[in-house]
Order: sequence, then structure tokens, then C-alpha cells
Amino acid sequence: MNNRTIARLLQTPAVLLLLVWMLVPLGLTLYFSFLRYVLNSLRKPEWTVPQLSNWRGFGNYEYVLYKSKDFWFAIQNSLLIVGSILVITVVLGLAIAILVNRSFPGRGIVRVLLISPFFVMPAVNAVLWINMILDPVLGLNGLAIEGLNHLVAGLKDFPILGHFFALWPELEPISFRATQTSAYAVIMMVAWQWTPFAVLIFMTSLQSEDQQQKEAALLDGASAWAQFVYLTIPHLARPIAIVVMIQSIFHLSLYAEIEIVSRGNGNKNLPYLIGEFTSNNIGAASATGIFAVILANIVAIFLLRMVGKNLVD
Amino acid sequence: MASLTLRNVRKRYEAAEVIHGVDLDIEDGEFVVFVGPSGCGKSTLLRMIAGLEEISDGSVSIGETEVNEVAASKRGVAMVFQTYALYPHMTVYKNMAFGLKQAKTPADEIDRRVRAAADILQITDYLDRSPRHLSGGQRQRVAIGRAIVRDPKVFLFDEPLSNLDAALRVQTRLEIARLHERLKTTMIYVTHDQVEAMTLADKIVVLRDGVIEQVGSPIALYEKPQNAFVAQFIGSPKMNFFAASDLSKKAAKVLKTDLTDDMQIGLRPEHMQVCKAADAVVTGTLELVENLGEVALVHLITDTGASFIAKTEKPPKEAKGEAISFTIAPELAHYFDKDSGQRLEG
Repeated sequence: MNNRTIARLLQTPAVLLLLVWMLVPLGLTLYFSFLRYVLNSLRKPEWTVPQLSNWRGFGNYEYVLYKSKDFWFAIQNSLLIVGSILVITVVLGLAIAILVNRSFPGRGIVRVLLISPFFVMPAVNAVLWINMILDPVLGLNGLAIEGLNHLVAGLKDFPILGHFFALWPELEPISFRATQTSAYAVIMMVAWQWTPFAVLIFMTSLQSEDQQQKEAALLDGASAWAQFVYLTIPHLARPIAIVVMIQSIFHLSLYAEIEIVSRGNGNKNLPYLIGEFTSNNIGAASATGIFAVILANIVAIFLLRMVGKNLVD
Repeated sequence: MASLTLRNVRKRYEAAEVIHGVDLDIEDGEFVVFVGPSGCGKSTLLRMIAGLEEISDGSVSIGETEVNEVAASKRGVAMVFQTYALYPHMTVYKNMAFGLKQAKTPADEIDRRVRAAADILQITDYLDRSPRHLSGGQRQRVAIGRAIVRDPKVFLFDEPLSNLDAALRVQTRLEIARLHERLKTTMIYVTHDQVEAMTLADKIVVLRDGVIEQVGSPIALYEKPQNAFVAQFIGSPKMNFFAASDLSKKAAKVLKTDLTDDMQIGLRPEHMQVCKAADAVVTGTLELVENLGEVALVHLITDTGASFIAKTEKPPKEAKGEAISFTIAPELAHYFDKDSGQRLEG
């Protein structure tokens, strides 16, 4: 037996375990997605048992695609949430990383504080944001709007300028639990939580930037902006790709924030839709799950191409 | 093209002063080499001229203008870094064009200058490659090309050869010498390698601990080192130092000098000649022979415990432990004060 065979043999249990871990759920999901399978049915009690006699073919898929009103909305919303969070975290993360990359007193503490949102549990994060910050009455949102209205009301008494302020309407705080806004609340809180992750990755990468290249650029007459565009951004291409990839994987499966902000009111993504189906219709939930797998794979192919290109270079 | 003047230049980092008042005149078109052991401040001095380090005190002038407060890019200097510092995400062409582009040079002018420089350095074939796919020597040429393209008044080289292997180092050294011949621009070159200094320089500046020890042509430094430090730094193998007591009784007569105890006598290994015991200036016991083929380096130790090296054409016939006597032409001996290390004329 040569070394290679031994190595393979030693790897086998781990690989097998991973395969079983992945294939059994996937296989069962696939199986259920072709069955009439519900948790509770008084009319058709035989549907509550997963068995081949309940075979429905592509019926569950048809139902999800054409009859349930939320499917396309959930896909759209999944992409909106993931895309927005990615843009916000990468831009903000880059800006903050560059800001704290210079030395100033208290840098260590600032860095720890910057990272800390990342250690808050997602559900806790959502509760904090929706109740203490975004709440239109009790949260900072409400307090700030109230303060602004007070300020404008006070300015109305000013001579001459007061007429101008008198024209201002009273501001209304935005309710982030509403149908139209709940997705934005989720985007905000998740971006807040994940920006530190981007900062962390970008910061370490900035520290490995070659200083002599920057000095050469300085002698070449490059402004700070030109150095940023021509040296720093290309240097950060790989970490940016990694941040985008990891975050895409995580944010496609957001759940807790959506549940806590609006219980899916006006804001569903695929995992949330699956959750809703699971309350009774396992067949439809499984079919949606298969669609989620397909969506994740499409995203993954794009990402791997992007990152892969970066890693090969 | 421009001359360069340094007046009482100092560099301080908070409390610590690392350059202690350097005065230096560099003429237009001169090739000047700053040489010294690591930590002597030679690179700091170069970076101060480049504008990468602030000048704490004194003045640096390029041509007639004082440049203390002039931005690095406006000083008309170009620098070649030890690590090349090429921009890794740009092709060779873009690397060379970057500075001109920042200066808003017209595209056809950029193209003309990049191609001219590439032609001089024979890197035209690599213009579209990325630096990652070049060898060390090719990268070094691109770095030099990036400097040439800017048509600077002064070229600055910061240990440009130390990342190359030995064979390539000799070749690139020649190329830099040829380049200077061709461009006739003022060049300042920092190195810790005295061979590079000797072969390239019109003028060598020997630095130690932020102070200039001696300025002069390579041959002047070799023939008349102003102090023991320069004497040992220039020349390979190093100059041997002896106290008067290490030498034979006849030494004073052979050297035609009065030898005193507060004197160091410096004899270069290549000037020592094997002789009969009766005529010896110094006698040593053979310890080790390094045979280089063309010459042999003979390591010896005197009875008084001073070890020294002699360079002979052929390895000696004596076996290890046997004594060999050496003499030297009186005009080739150097004398230094034992305490201050300063050269004693006489």
C-alpha cells in the first residue's frame, strides 16, 4: 500500500460522513417534493404519511410556481436583500478599514468595538434594532423625528425665516414593520452586523500591502486617490471576492431577522417561504427547497467564477 | 541633469538622531555610491533626498533649488527600490507609463518614451506581461525602466542588486554602469557591498553611524583611507591590523618608520609577500589555506596572538602549524592612531 492509498483510506470515514450528511437530507427533500405529504388532513388522512402511493409527480412544483402567490416575490426579495447587504458592507467595510488602518491613540479599543456587532446573535440583533432603534415611537427613529419636529416648530417663531419653516410639513417617523419597509429594516440590521466582518478581512489585507509600492507611486506623482484606485483596490480584489462569497452564502438563508421584524409581512425570502409551507404542506416546502438549492447553485457558480479567477491570478 | 548639495543634513526620530549633520557636494553627472554597514543611515539619507523621509535639519538642494519642502514627485528624482516595488496588477508597459500618466502626458508621448526606455533595457518583448511572470533580473530592469521613463535629474538606487543571485548581480552591475555611461545623469547608489561601490562609483561616500567617514574616488579610498574603519571596509579580504609588538624586530627598519605602541599598522593581504625569516616584517603560524585557484588566502596567527590573512599566488608549501614570514613594500603600509583610528601621515 503506498502513501496515497493510506491517505485516501484515512480520509474515507470523514468523507463518507459528510456525504451521508449531505445526501440523505437532499435525497429525502427530493423524494418528498414529488409526494402529496401534509402534516394534518382530516379529509385525506393517508396524505399525512410519506409513501409512494401519494406520488404527485411535478404537482408540487407546479403549485409552488403558479398557484402560490409568494414564490416569485420571495426570489426577488432574496436577491434584493443579499445584493443590498453586499453593496453596503463592502463599501462601508472598505471605508472603515482604511480609516482605522492608520495609527491613532486608542486604536486597539476602537478595533475591538468595531468588531463587536459581529458577536451579537442574529435574533438579538433583530430585536434590538426593531425595538430600540427603528421603532417609530419608542426607538431612536421616533425620538429623532420628534426632536426634529420640535426644532422646526421652534424655528417657526423666528422673524422672517419663520415663514419659511412654517411651510414645512410635520415629519412622520417611518414604521419599519410595515409591508413596504420591512425588507429595508432587515437590510439595515444585517448590514450593521456584517460590516465588521468586511472590516476585519479588509484591515488584515491592508496591512499586508507593500509600502514600497506606495512610495514608488508617490515618486511617480500619484495622489492618495490614485494610489487607492490603482494599488489598494487591485490589492483588495481577492478579499473583496471572499467577503462577497461568504456573505452571499449566509444571507441567502436569512431567517431570524425576517421573522422578528414582520413575520414575513411584505418581506419573504426563500427560506422563510419554506418555513411557512412547513407548517403544513411538506411537499410544497420540499419543492421550494429544491428551488432554493438551484438558486444557491446559480449564485455559487457566478461567485466561484469570480473568486476562482481572483485566486488563480 | 543636476548637481546635488547637502548641507548639515540631520534626521531625528523623536529623541534619537540617526544622521548627524552630513555635508556633501555631488556634481552634475556624477555616479556617487553611499556605502556602509547596515544601520549606518545610508538608506535614510537616500530617502531624504528622494522626499520619502522628512529632513529634520539642514538643507538638500538639487541644482540651485532647495527641495526640503518640495513634494517627492516634484523633485525630479526617480528611485529604484530594493524589492523593485513594481505595481503587481499592471503590465510592464503600464508600470512604466504610470508616472507619465499621472503627470497627464499625452498618450503618444508616453508611448514614445516607454518604448525608448524598453529599447535601452531590452525589455520590449515583455511589455505586455505582468511583473509576476518575469524573473528577478527582468523585474529589476523594469524598475530601472520606470525610472528612466520619467527622465529624472537624479537617479536614486536603493540596494538594487541585493535581491539578485550572484551571477545576475555582476551582469546587472555592468548594465547599470553602461546606463550611466549612456545617460550621463547624476546617480546616487546605496549599497553595503564594497565591490559594487568600487566598480561603479566615480565617488564613494563611506558612512558609519550617520556620519560621513570619507568621501573620495574608489582608488583614493583604497590607497589613502582616512581612518581604520574605511581601511577595513574597502578591500577584500579586509586589511590586517597589527600593533607594533606583533611585528618582528626588523620591521621598523624594513618599513623605514619609527613604530610606536600607540600606532596601528595596516597591511593589505594582497600586498604581503613571502620572504626569508631574516627579512620578515611579520611572521605567523599557518592555520588554514583557502585555495581559490588563481590565488590562495592564507590564514595565519602571530606568536602574540594577532590573526591575519595573506593573499598569495600559490598555496604555501608549509604545512599547518609551520611558520611563514612576510614582508611588504614600505609605501604600501598604512598607519593609524590606535585610539582615534585616524590616519597618521609619515
